[in-house]
Amino acid sequence: MSPARFPGRRMRRGLLAPLAAIGIAVCAVLAPLAASADETCNSPYMRNLIRGQEDYVYVWTLGVEGMGDGSDKLVTVDVNPSSKQYGKVAHVLSVGTRGEAHHMGFTDDRRHLWAGGLDDSRVYIFDVYSDPSRPKLVRTLSDLPQRTGLVGPHTFYAMPGRMLVQFLSNSKDHGGVTGMAMFTNKGELIRTYGMPTGSGGDGYGYDIGINPKKNVMLTSSFSGWNNYMMDFGKMLQDQEAMKRFGRTMVLWDAKSMKSEKVLDVPGAPLEIRWSLNQEDNWAVTASALTSQLWLIKQDGNGQWQAKAVAAIGDPAQVPLPVDISITADGKGLWVNTFMDGKTRFIDLTDPEHPRQTYEKVTGKQVNMVSQSWDGTRVYITSSLLANWDKKGENDEQMLRAFAWDGKDLQPLFEVDFYAQNLGRAHHMKFGSNAIKAAYEPLDATLAQNR
Amino acid sequence: MHAASLAAAGVLMLSCAVAAAGPRGDTARLGLPEISAAASRAQVDLGRRLFMDRRLSRNGTMSCGMCHVPEQGFAQNELATSIGVEGRSLRRNAPSVLNSGFNQSYFHDGRARTLEEQAWGPLLAPDEMGNADRATVVGRVAALQDYPDAFRHAFGDAAVSEQRIGVALAAYQRSLVAGGSRFDRWYYGQEEAAMSAEEKRGFVVFRGKAQCNACHELGRTHALFTDEAFHNLGVGIPAAGPEQWLEVRLAPGVTTRIPHALVRSVSEPPRKDEGRFEVTGRPQDRAAYRTPTLRNVELTAPYMHDGSFATLREVVDFYDRGGNPNDNLDRLILPLYLSEQDKQDLVAFMRALTGANVDELARQARAAAAQPATR
Repeated sequence: MSPARFPGRRMRRGLLAPLAAIGIAVCAVLAPLAASADETCNSPYMRNLIRGQEDYVYVWTLGVEGMGDGSDKLVTVDVNPSSKQYGKVAHVLSVGTRGEAHHMGFTDDRRHLWAGGLDDSRVYIFDVYSDPSRPKLVRTLSDLPQRTGLVGPHTFYAMPGRMLVQFLSNSKDHGGVTGMAMFTNKGELIRTYGMPTGSGGDGYGYDIGINPKKNVMLTSSFSGWNNYMMDFGKMLQDQEAMKRFGRTMVLWDAKSMKSEKVLDVPGAPLEIRWSLNQEDNWAVTASALTSQLWLIKQDGNGQWQAKAVAAIGDPAQVPLPVDISITADGKGLWVNTFMDGKTRFIDLTDPEHPRQTYEKVTGKQVNMVSQSWDGTRVYITSSLLANWDKKGENDEQMLRAFAWDGKDLQPLFEVDFYAQNLGRAHHMKFGSNAIKAAYEPLDATLAQNR
Repeated sequence: MHAASLAAAGVLMLSCAVAAAGPRGDTARLGLPEISAAASRAQVDLGRRLFMDRRLSRNGTMSCGMCHVPEQGFAQNELATSIGVEGRSLRRNAPSVLNSGFNQSYFHDGRARTLEEQAWGPLLAPDEMGNADRATVVGRVAALQDYPDAFRHAFGDAAVSEQRIGVALAAYQRSLVAGGSRFDRWYYGQEEAAMSAEEKRGFVVFRGKAQCNACHELGRTHALFTDEAFHNLGVGIPAAGPEQWLEVRLAPGVTTRIPHALVRSVSEPPRKDEGRFEVTGRPQDRAAYRTPTLRNVELTAPYMHDGSFATLREVVDFYDRGGNPNDNLDRLILPLYLSEQDKQDLVAFMRALTGANVDELARQARAAAAQPATR
C-alpha cells in the first residue's frame, strides 16, 4: 500500500476557526487549574483538572461472550478513600456491542472521554463532565472504516480543539499499514494522515506523543487487525504473522503534521512517554517483542535518534513489556510485563543508563499501569487483548490499586471484573468531581456572550 | 435466477470468461477451458460488490475479500491460517479464488460441490463471517440502501434472496479467470520467447524427474494444474512426541526459543484437522487435501493447506525429500533427488504461471469495495 492510500483529505475547514477560538478561551480560563495530581501520560494540550486525589478511575472494559450482556463497558470505579464507595464499582455503562474495547483519551477540555474498539472500529464519545460519577454516551462514530479506510482506533490524543486518533490497521487487508485521523472535539472528521511507507517507514502505527516545545510528534508502531485479533499462541506459531510487527518510530513536525524522519526501533515499540521535566527533551518507549527500553533524544548535531538503553527483564524469555508510566519529574518509569505479571520500576535519573530498582508480581497477567501525578498511587489492570490474554485459571481480570512509598507497592483495593460479570479490564483514565466547578466560570462567560 | 426472466429483464447474457477477460480480451483465457455456466455482467458486478462488502459479516468487520485479498492473489499472504470474525481461529490457509470456477469441489477438503454452495459456507461459519443463518444475511442486504439497483440490474427486480446472493457471488468467482500466463503463451500460444530458458528447463523437471504433473495435471489444449483429487503429503501431521520449544521471530534477525508450555498458556485448545476424512469418514482420506491449481502460485504464499511453507523453494525442498512420512502418505510422494539447478528451474517455472490480468482483476475488486456505502 502506498502512502496515497490514506490521502490527506481535508474536510469541514470552516469548523476550525471557531473551535480554535473556543480552545483559546478554555485554556485561558483553566490555566490556573494546572494540576498537582493526574495521569502523566496525557496530552500536553489537555488541561489537568485533578488536584490532589482522583475520585474515579474509568476502566474501558472488553465484553466477554456469555458474561452479562457480553458488551464492552465503561466501568467507573470510586477511588477516593473518603468515599463510602471507595474501591467499589460506582457505575457501569454498556455500549451494547462487543468490539474489542481498548484505549481512551480525554478531549483537551477534559469534558469528554473518547474510547475505541479495535475490532469494530467504533469510537464512543462519553460525557464525563455533566456527572463524572455517571458518564453518558453522547455520540458513536460507527462508519470510520468506510470513511477513512482505517481500522482499529487506538490512541486518542488531545490537540487544541481537536482529537487526533491513531489507528492500527486498514479495511483493505487488515494488515498493519494504517494512518491517523483528526476530528473536532464533537467528532466531525477533518482529515486523515497516512503513516509513511517510504524512507524506511513500515506504515504501521500505535501511539502518539508530542513535545510542544520542540514541535515534535513521535509515533510508534505495532501490528494490524490480523495479528491483534488473533489467538496469541496461534500467532506465535505463525511465521508469516510474526513478520508483521512494527519496527519503526516516526518523527513528525507537529504543526504541519509532516513526517520528517523514520527511526529504526525493531520489535514493536508501543507507548511513548515524553519526560515531563521542563528541562528535558527526551522520550522513552518499550519494544514489546524485543523487551528493550528505547531513548529518543537529539544527538550532538541536533538530530533525533533512537537507541536501546536497557533490557526489560530477560528478553529471551519474552516478558512482553506493555504499558509504561513515567513519573512527573521524569526520574522513574513503571513498566508492566504481561507474561510474568510483574510491575517494575525503572530509575531514569540517567536516561542513557536506566536501571531497574524494584519489581513485584502484581497479577497473573498485567497490562496497563497508571500512576497519580504525585506518584503515590499506582493502578494496574489485567487485559492486553481479548485473544492475547492468558487462558484458564491465569485469565484473571481485575483493577488493582497500590500505594507506593518509594520502596514497595502496598495493596489498597481490588475489583474482580469477572466476579462482577464486567469483562476484561483494560485502559484506565482518572476522573474528578471537581471538573464541574472548574468549568463554572467559563460556562458563565459563554452564557453571557450568547 | 432463470435465464428466461433475465432475458425478460433485458439483461445481456455473457459467458463468465468473457466478462472476466476485461480489456485484455481473450488473453486471460489462453490455456484455460471454457466455462459452461453463464451469468450476466450485472450479476458479476453485484457479486463483486457483495464479495468485497464487510457489512455481510455479523459485526461488519469481515468480507470475503478480507481473507481472499485481491492484491494478495485473492489469497492471504500475511497469515499461515486465517482468522475470522472477532479473531476466531481457522485451521486452514485461505486459498486463492482465482480460477475457482473451474474447480469440481471447493474448500481444502472438497466439502462443497458448487460455487453457489460454497458461497454460503464462510457467510454462515461461526468462525468466519459469523452470521446466524441465511435469513439474517438476506435481511441485512435487503436493508442496505445501496443494493436495490444492483439487484434490479442483475435479476430484473430488487428482491434479495439467498439464491440470488449465492448466484451473484458464484458468478463473480467464476469471472475470476486468470490465464494467459507466460507459460500459456509459450506452450499453448507457441510464443517461443515468452518463457526463459530457465523456466523451460523447469517445465522439463515438472513433467520429468519431479513428476509434478501426476497431480498438477495439464492437457493438450489447456491446463488447470490439478487432478481434483485429495492427497496425503504429511503436511500438518505433528512430529512424534511433544515439542518442548518453539522458535519465535521477535524482529528482523532476532529470534528466541520459548517453551511450549508458555505458548500453551496463551493458546486456545488446538483443533484437530483431518482433511478430507472429515467429509467422507474414510480412513484413507485422513490428512488428505485437495490438489490446488498452480496457476498464480507465485502470488499466493504461504503454501499448503496450513500455510506452513513461506516460499516455493520450501515447497520444492519438501517434495524433494519425499514429503512427511506417515501411515497414510500418498503413494505418489517419493524422494525426488533433484539437483540444485533442478530446484531453481522448477521454482522459476512456477513463477511463469501468473495470469496476465491478475492486477486488473484486483483493481476491479478494489474499485467495487470503494463504492459508496450507506446504511
